[in-house]
Amino acid sequence: MEHASTTVRILVPLMSVIIVVMILTARRKQLFIRRIQGLTAIDEAIGRATEMGRPMVCTTGLGGKQGGIEIVTLQALSIVTYIIRSSARFGTRSIVPVFDSQMLPVTQEAVRDAYAAEGRPEMYNPDDVRFLSSNQFAYAASVAGLIWREKAAANFLFGYYYAESLILAETGQQVGAIQVAGTPTTTQIPFFIAACDYVIIGDEFYAASAYLSREPTALGSLVGQDIAKGILIAIVLAGTALVSYSGVTGSPLGTQFTNLFK
Amino acid sequence: MFTPKTGAAWWGFVIGSLVLSAILVAVLQAVPQRFRRPIILTATFIGGLFYALEFFLPVAPMPTPQDPNRMGNFLTPYVVPFADTLPVIAGFTVGLGVINLFLLHGRRILKGATGWTNSLVFFIAFFLMLTFGILDKTAPEGSIPKNIYYLLQEGAYQALDATMFSIIAFYIVSAAYRAFRVRSLEATMLLITAMVVMLGQITVGQMLTNWLPEQSESFWGNFRVEVMRDWILTKANTPAVRAINFGLGVGSLAVALRIWLGLERGSYFDSQR
Repeated sequence: MEHASTTVRILVPLMSVIIVVMILTARRKQLFIRRIQGLTAIDEAIGRATEMGRPMVCTTGLGGKQGGIEIVTLQALSIVTYIIRSSARFGTRSIVPVFDSQMLPVTQEAVRDAYAAEGRPEMYNPDDVRFLSSNQFAYAASVAGLIWREKAAANFLFGYYYAESLILAETGQQVGAIQVAGTPTTTQIPFFIAACDYVIIGDEFYAASAYLSREPTALGSLVGQDIAKGILIAIVLAGTALVSYSGVTGSPLGTQFTNLFK
Repeated sequence: MFTPKTGAAWWGFVIGSLVLSAILVAVLQAVPQRFRRPIILTATFIGGLFYALEFFLPVAPMPTPQDPNRMGNFLTPYVVPFADTLPVIAGFTVGLGVINLFLLHGRRILKGATGWTNSLVFFIAFFLMLTFGILDKTAPEGSIPKNIYYLLQEGAYQALDATMFSIIAFYIVSAAYRAFRVRSLEATMLLITAMVVMLGQITVGQMLTNWLPEQSESFWGNFRVEVMRDWILTKANTPAVRAINFGLGVGSLAVALRIWLGLERGSYFDSQR
């Protein structure tokens, strides 16, 4: 079992308090967040699918290595929910393939609620939220086949992806779908950059729901994250300066500082 | 915490657990809509609190016969039994996936929709694997059921899986071709960087610059292709990936906090407007 070191016992609660305070602040006053191009492209993709009269495929990834319902998959579902709400206004069909059977009822409910929230509950088709397979490449083959058969006009890839990322993205590219991807799996980001039109990198993935929904909770959380990242950057800069200083003068300060984070 | 049970006790525990689970599911279904949110929030908070306390509370040596170096606190012995509830919940949802597949493909066959034969293949494959998968557990070596299962598993399933994986090689080539086309300054930099890394990875590439002196001997050694490759991977790529991971870690913490404390109202429960 892994347990917290003294530094982690200080840093994580500190960052948590900052995030919660900013969430509470955001409920009282409007906060500003910058434009994220990859997320703006979502509306462009929905518009294109609407014009072409073809469906969109929205995948929420494979989930974490431990399987089950993961925070990343829930975050991906949150983005997909926004996409479905936007597309429902124009009557554009969205297909949501599901990898993990545990995510199936959650996804079904989220999609049904999204249509209902836009006053289009009749647009919810149970066949459009479909469990395909819990096997990585069987899922990839199924989604690729789905993209081909439905001639998807837009392909959204959010969540955890592994080796199958390029199979999904290249298939979308071959049918001429406009593609927007976002994943926290850093090893798959290069593949998405090569094959997709827009890619959301790193913590932009977590910023997506704030940017798209403009919900105060998500906005406050995003600003809190930025302050927390500022603290981490300050620690990195302080460490760099101290280690460099120690390298020149032979002082033990640099080693003592880095030992705090081991 | 729990000792493995055998014989009648095992059956008693299995049947008792199923009955208890059925009662729990029935009670949860009967709960009025307005009470569901507090129940979900309380269960989520307790679950999160357990892991947070176990992680943050001070630890002391807590050796076990399996792990003599184990460190832990008073909650550590309950981590594994607590985590075991996850596969139990997953077990209940496996049926949901199968039902969804049956409904989807069943409807396609009944309606005679385009590609209904593919749905028929699904049913044939499902029942074939199910039947011979069960028979394989009891059939003797060399028997027909065992051979058929081997054929299905190794000859079809594994081969199809490997085929899908190998397709990635071709997709990499087509994606790389588009990404490396010299259309902009960024694409050119990407192309040059990728070329250096690729050449640095292979012996033939390293031969191109092996006439240069070693890095330790001369400044010109820095231009050996394997040295440039190492510099790109360790001095440019690794810090960039670490920076992304820092952001992801903080983002993940924020989303976890929102869900744990029930602050996430927009996406999963109700709108804030």
